[in-house]
Order: sequence, then structure tokens, then C-alpha cells
Amino acid sequence: MSAAAGNAHRIEARALVAGYGAGPVLRGLDAAIPAGVIAAVLGENGSGKSTLLKVFARVVPIGGGDVLLDGEPLESLPRRRTAQRVAYVPQSVDLVFPIRTLDLVLQGRAPYGRGFVAETSDDRRRALEAMRACDVETLAERDAASLSGGERRRVFLARALAQEAQVWLLDEPTAGLDPRHRLEFLETLWRIHRERATTVVLVTHEVALAADLAARVLLLKDGRTIAQGPRETVLTAENLERTFAAPFSPRGSRFALRSEVLPAGSLEP
Amino acid sequence: MKRSAITLGIALLVLACAAAFLVGGVHLSLGDLLSGRGEEGQTARLLASLRAPRIALAALVGGCLALAGAALQALLKNPLADPFLLGTSGGAAVGAALAALAGLSPLVSPAAAFVGAAAASLGVALLARRGGRLDLQRLLLAGLIANAFFSALLLGAFSIASGEAARSMLFWMMGSLADATPRKVGALLPYAVTGAAVLVAAAARLNLFSVGEENAAALGVDTERTKRVVFLAASLLTGVAVAFAGVIGFVGLLVPHAVRSAFGNDQRTLLPASFLAGATLLVAADAVSRAAIAPAELPIGAITAALGAPLFAWLLLRTP
Repeated sequence: MSAAAGNAHRIEARALVAGYGAGPVLRGLDAAIPAGVIAAVLGENGSGKSTLLKVFARVVPIGGGDVLLDGEPLESLPRRRTAQRVAYVPQSVDLVFPIRTLDLVLQGRAPYGRGFVAETSDDRRRALEAMRACDVETLAERDAASLSGGERRRVFLARALAQEAQVWLLDEPTAGLDPRHRLEFLETLWRIHRERATTVVLVTHEVALAADLAARVLLLKDGRTIAQGPRETVLTAENLERTFAAPFSPRGSRFALRSEVLPAGSLEP
Repeated sequence: MKRSAITLGIALLVLACAAAFLVGGVHLSLGDLLSGRGEEGQTARLLASLRAPRIALAALVGGCLALAGAALQALLKNPLADPFLLGTSGGAAVGAALAALAGLSPLVSPAAAFVGAAAASLGVALLARRGGRLDLQRLLLAGLIANAFFSALLLGAFSIASGEAARSMLFWMMGSLADATPRKVGALLPYAVTGAAVLVAAAARLNLFSVGEENAAALGVDTERTKRVVFLAASLLTGVAVAFAGVIGFVGLLVPHAVRSAFGNDQRTLLPASFLAGATLLVAADAVSRAAIAPAELPIGAITAALGAPLFAWLLLRTP
């Protein structure tokens, strides 16, 4: 928390421009994410929400504007220092080579590593602890390629935990999970967030997930932010209709999309 | 790093070298070689001194090619990456051949081969880019195209060259260790050591790359810098291997695959073990090439291709 003292925002983007090759995906985007909250980024496919996450993770370079991490310009930080503070959990990883699940989690210790030297016993202890916290310690010796989608999500969560980063970036964390695995994943995420006051930025196009989980919501369209703030004020039918160009109703008729928000803290035990 | 892998690699290399001393057009007995007495002993020692530089060159060339292949596979997250299949070897051969055609001193050929190899890797990588990332199928196709083009250039160079230069062209096209001399081994050694040291030092970063480039970037690796360094070092190893032994295919594909099956994909073990295993493979293959149809010699590239092509087919079938 001390790092954030004097600055209410853990991550901030100002007039951010970024993208791959052809044209920028983000076109002057503004975002402010306070420390210690779960923030959901909602938007259509192609609205730039995954790109935003990758800019925060320094996977995609900044093309214009500023990104501040705890008030410091992101690009002025050494990359390893950034990786000690920000963990990126990808939507899916296509594993071509065999890798033991424990070794995948140990990669979270890479930002603290000393190059060629093998991980220390302390690194191993932290990795195993993280796996226990995410309930995947029994998978430690398995080849990560053989894990199910739900197991893999939690393994990557364990890796972010082993990385000891205060900011977690989650790309479509529940995509492709069945209801049970979705619930298990979200409960694990919620528990760790509560215990460690981790700042979580998650990207999704599920309005219900944002409504249930996130205290803050950002709505993205065509690479710009059209609304951001506390979910109660942002998740209105009008805002959602602008974001998704689809009809939302507050009550939820048979096929209309629901904009109704669950009461705050409904996931808390 | 798994010590057992390195120990086994060294043991196999020593065995292969010992065997390679003894077999060939004339078979030697270990007793004659060690006692060194009498006429047989002298003949044995003379033959061994002729075979020694050839064995050393085979070991270095095999190690360079296997290590370059292993590093490229991790960097590109692609088990089919190989300096030969990606056109790097062909580019190196063209570089060396053009230098010879221009009448430059043979001392320039490693540098020319390095430039050719680096240019070929760059060209193939550019051809294979799609939407900012390297595409697996495009990469292999681009390598195929590059190899066809380089063969054409080599054949063209061969047809206008004469005498010694023409003989060199043939050598670069077919690959051979027959012209090994202690001087050549001495000239190759510093390049091999430099390239190998750079790649092995990048092993921990390559572990992150073998899960994906974005993965490496998100874990704090300067990916653009690592890509440049690894591409250049792999091009250096390939370039000097080709400059001193011509194009020998599939070593960079075969060896890392075998080592990975046995010891896993941790680059800190895989890279040094691949160097040792590549050295072992080429020393053994060269011994076979000398002994199989003695007094004639099988081209060594034919042996590595006979082993490598079926493996490539098998890997291709398994790759989604």
C-alpha cells in the first residue's frame, strides 16, 4: 500500500494510443483504476479491452499517451520491476512443449531470478504455497498440457500469486468454463483478492460477471472509454446499450439482456 | 541444469570419438593405437593424427547446428524450427559461395556465411510474419522457398565457377568434413564458443519464450532484444558450421528432439546437452560415412537427412 500513498490510482491511462501493426486499437483511451479493487473492463469484441490489458502487462508497447503505475510512467520502469508488480493471466496458452505444472508456476519467480541459476528453494516454497492457495498443488508433477481448461486457469492464478504482484490482469478469465469450474475459479479469485487486497483488472464481455464481481467498471467502445466509475453508476441500461449496440432492459424480459446489478457484496460469505 | 544429462552427453561424446578414431577406410585396433610400437603402431598413430582434426571438426559443427536448432525452437515456440529447414544454412552457403566466387580469401568465408545466414533468417522471418506474429505454416513455407532460391543461386554460382571455386561450391552444397585441418578447427573454435555462450546465457529467458513470446514479455523479458540476440547467435553458429563443413541438414531438428524426449524442455539443460549430443551425432555419422562403403565415402548430409526426414514427417503429423 505504501507505494500507492499519495496516489489513489494504482494504474492510470491517459490518452492512450496502442495497437499492432496496421492501425491503433486504442485511440486516446483514459482509464483510472484505484488500488485494491476489482475493476471489470467491458466491451464488444475488438473494442480494445484485451489490448489495454496487454499494454498494462507491457506485452504491447505504448504508441502514444501515458500509462502510470502507482504514479510512475510504466515505460520508465525496468521490465523486471514491472513484472514484480504486475501479473498477467492470459486467456489461454497453447503449450507446444512439455512443461511440468510446477515449472510453469515457477516461471512466476522469473522476475526475481538471477539468469541462468536455477530457482532457489525459497522460490519453490513460494510456488508450492501459491498452488496450495489455488487448490492445484496435487497437479504439481503433471504435464501442464494435460490439464483441463479450469485447472489451467487456476494454475495461472497460482503463478500470478507466486509472482507476488499487487496488480493482476485477467483476460476473459471465465471464458469456456462450465458453471462449476467458473464458480470455483471466481471463489478462488475473490478469496485471494480479499486476503491480499490485490488490484484486479479483468476483461470480459459478460455483463453479469462484471456486475457480480467488480466494484469498478470501464466500458470500452472503438478503443475509447465511454464510461467508468463505480458499477452502480456505470452499469445502466443506457450505457450498456451504447457499449454493445444491443437492447438491455433493467428487468430482464425473456430474451433481453439484463442490466440489473446484484447488491454489493453478494459474493461475500 | 540436470547434471546427469550433461554427464551422459560427455560420456557418449567420448565414446563416439574413440570409435571414430578406430573405424574408417582402414580399421585400427585400440592396442596398436595405444602401444604405438612397431610398424602397426606408427601407422595407427599416423592415421589417428589424420583423423583427429576431422573428428574435432565434426564435433564442433554438430554441436553448433544442434544448439542453434534448439535455441530457435524455443524462441519460435516451434519444434520444427531448424537452421536447415528455415533456410539459414542455405543462406550461409550462398554467402560463403559468393565470397569464394568473388575471389576473396577463404579466411573471409565464415564472415560471409554469417552475413548470409543472418540475412536468410531475417528474410524468412519477414515472409512468415502475419499480423505482427510469426505463423508456423508460413515459417516452414518461407524456409522452403528460401531453400529453393538458395539452391538456384548455388547452382548458378557452380556453373560459372571453375577449378578450385567450383570444387568449393560442390562442397558447400553437399556438406563434407573431409577437408578438416587443425587450422580450420582452430578457426571455428572461437566462433563456436562465443555463439554457444550467448545462447546458453539466454536459457532462462528461452524457457519463458517456449511457453510464448507474450508470456516472456509479461514476465519481464525484453523480448525484442532477446529475439535479436538469439537470432544473431544462432545465425553465427549456423554460418560458421556451414563455412567449414557445408550444408548438413536436420542436425538441429533431430538432436533437440531426442534430448527433449529424454530430459524435458528446460533450456538450461536442453541447450548444453544438445550441443554435446549434436557433437556426438555428427562424429558418429562421419565415422559411418567413412566406414560404410570404404574406400569411398557417403556424403554426411545424406546420413543426417536419412535420419532426420522421417523424424520431421513424424513431428509434422503430431503437430496440431
